[in-house]
Amino acid sequence: MMLQTRDLAVGYGKKTVVDHINLDVLKGQMICLLGPNGSGKSTILKSLCGFLAPLRGTVYLTKKNLSHIKTSALAKKMAVVLTERFSPGLMTGFGIVSLGRHPHTGFLGKLTDKDVNKTLDALRLVNAEDLADKLFAEMSDGQKQKIMLARALAQEPELIVLDEPTTHLDIHHQVEVMRILNKMTKEKGITVILSLHEIDLAMRSCEIAVLIKDNRILAYGPPEEVIDDSTIAELFELNTAHYSNLLGSVEFCSNSTNHGICVIGGGGTATHIYRLLSKQGFGVSTGVIHENDIDYHVASATGAHISREKPFEKISSEAYSQTKKYVEKASFVIDSGFPVGSLNKQNFALLLHALKQGKTLFTLRKQKEWCSQLYEYRQKINTEKIVFCENSRDLVAKVAHELHNSKGRREPW
Amino acid sequence: MELEKIRSARVRGIMLLFICLLGIALIINISWGSIKIDVQEIIAVLKGQSENVVHNSVIWKIRLPRTLAALLGGAALAVAGLLLQVFFRNPIVEPFVLGISSGATLMVGLVILAGFSFGMESISPYLIIVSALAGAILVMCIVLLLSLKVRSIVTLLVIGLMVGYSCSAVTSILTALADRDRVHGFVIWSMGSFSNYTWDQVAIVAAVIIPFLAATFLICKPLNAFLMGEEYAKSMGVNIKLFRFVVVALASVLAAIVTAFTGPVSFIGMAIPHICRILFQAADNRILIPGTILGGAVITSLCDLAARMLISPIELPISAITSIFGAPIIVFMLLKRRTDMQ
Repeated sequence: MMLQTRDLAVGYGKKTVVDHINLDVLKGQMICLLGPNGSGKSTILKSLCGFLAPLRGTVYLTKKNLSHIKTSALAKKMAVVLTERFSPGLMTGFGIVSLGRHPHTGFLGKLTDKDVNKTLDALRLVNAEDLADKLFAEMSDGQKQKIMLARALAQEPELIVLDEPTTHLDIHHQVEVMRILNKMTKEKGITVILSLHEIDLAMRSCEIAVLIKDNRILAYGPPEEVIDDSTIAELFELNTAHYSNLLGSVEFCSNSTNHGICVIGGGGTATHIYRLLSKQGFGVSTGVIHENDIDYHVASATGAHISREKPFEKISSEAYSQTKKYVEKASFVIDSGFPVGSLNKQNFALLLHALKQGKTLFTLRKQKEWCSQLYEYRQKINTEKIVFCENSRDLVAKVAHELHNSKGRREPW
Repeated sequence: MELEKIRSARVRGIMLLFICLLGIALIINISWGSIKIDVQEIIAVLKGQSENVVHNSVIWKIRLPRTLAALLGGAALAVAGLLLQVFFRNPIVEPFVLGISSGATLMVGLVILAGFSFGMESISPYLIIVSALAGAILVMCIVLLLSLKVRSIVTLLVIGLMVGYSCSAVTSILTALADRDRVHGFVIWSMGSFSNYTWDQVAIVAAVIIPFLAATFLICKPLNAFLMGEEYAKSMGVNIKLFRFVVVALASVLAAIVTAFTGPVSFIGMAIPHICRILFQAADNRILIPGTILGGAVITSLCDLAARMLISPIELPISAITSIFGAPIIVFMLLKRRTDMQ
């Protein structure tokens, strides 16, 4: 057992920020505090580091009461990486990392060969050997963060506490930081406790997630267990966006109540169209989508009106007739160019229905494919209403043009 | 690592240069003046082999104690400035930011201007020294007590500034109400000067400054950890409460003792740490502490020489010289350097 808290309450002065914290962190575990800004993640971490005295309860580090451990002894067990920015003057990467040797050096802080080697080892582990001679002030945020990780590592701790180590970093450095932390836990058996904003990073890298909201621990356990669509929505109070656990990302809901565009897709061909339209603020209804289709998950996350079908079933007549209504109500229809197979033949029939209704049909399907499909359906169709689009960019331009025209037509004359 | 090696060669070079300059400053400070004394004669006088009565008394009674006082005082102020700049992580902090010189000035003001001279006909220099020391120590004790109480270092800085302002306010009231003759004497004192040091005074200053300078070497390790801020320093095992107390105490005593005997000397405490950082290209206090001691001593003694030489026989205030020559140098160096330090 690396770290335990028992009925811990943390806060400042008389104000309790988070109460009833009971954590059990094992050696080599990676544990992540997840919660909105101001939920008290940093306050908890500061109390675990000993920067803040607990208001109630106790923190045990390797079964010893944290407040009874001397600062100098604690420094050999625990290292921290804080969000606070600092400018250390004319110091190189090597200089900063070697400061981590502080608890191990002698009275005047002179680096021995061993200290120099440990410092270089730490730089190597975070892939930052090339930063050793670079001035800290001239580094990018990502490089600085790697140096801070190396500094913590040079301290040779059993536990590293990090406050939002991925904030301000681009996606490349976010992933790199998390991989380095993972490596520390696996190779060195270091326990890592960190706070994060990014749900997907937490899902993919941490063993235990602690969700914090409204002065309490909302959920505590493996992220696969505690993180789902509804807990995330509750945690971050998502109203205008929707977190999809399956996609591991947040989709922005369209707040339009007019579902005037019908997108017929399937097989993942329509995901970008749903996103595009909801980004532009259009309400969308869909053709029939199977529930195991990624299009289904994106469409439901963006708040589209969906007509659905059970996985691997042929499209039923109920679903078909419901979608027919969507098509009839829509001002125009978009065909994502979905592959047509035996289970979703009806979706293509819906496109034909739209054309019969005289709807404009934007399609990403090639003309040649239309010809062969039409031949198969043996139907005579007015193809003048079909607008062929080269790619999604072309599609957006043409849809925008169409919308502009339809608005124009509503001008009073 | 390559850069570290190049830097340590550079550091050694500049240290050597500073030591040479220290020797040169010592010699020309003794040699130059209204009477010029050449080096052979100086050596003869110091060995006690010179027959020249004037030379003997000029060197032994005036120039040597004055030079030593300037060297010691400069070193003390520069190191005090460095300590506080690292402590507050602020480049424009100087040793008097915690109100020490204002406290000393207020007490001296009370003695000279408000007539708390216990009915003495003329005000003895020792009375001024004692009152300045008392003022400095009083302010220092207030700040030290508060340093143990307050949570944030910035609060401490603000408290120091406020104490300083209050003392200055009272001083200015005293000045407004006092006799003209007395104000002149007070203003002269408040501009600071290394003249009139006696051997007794040099001995007292040395007895305080040398052990305290030695003590600053002992805190260079936690001071380095402090470069990353208080929380990181704590996480690396620094006892923050003790460290705060020690830093404030060391810096205050060094600044207080110089102020008591010399009056407030501005600029040295702020500028020398900057000059050293730029010259040594370093933030490591193990380099900067000896660097500022040597740099402070050399530059202060040269400024003192300029103060008494430029329009002799009138002596200029030392603070004027340090600021007039120092400020452009600092600006020039800051413009030339590669990266921002803060």
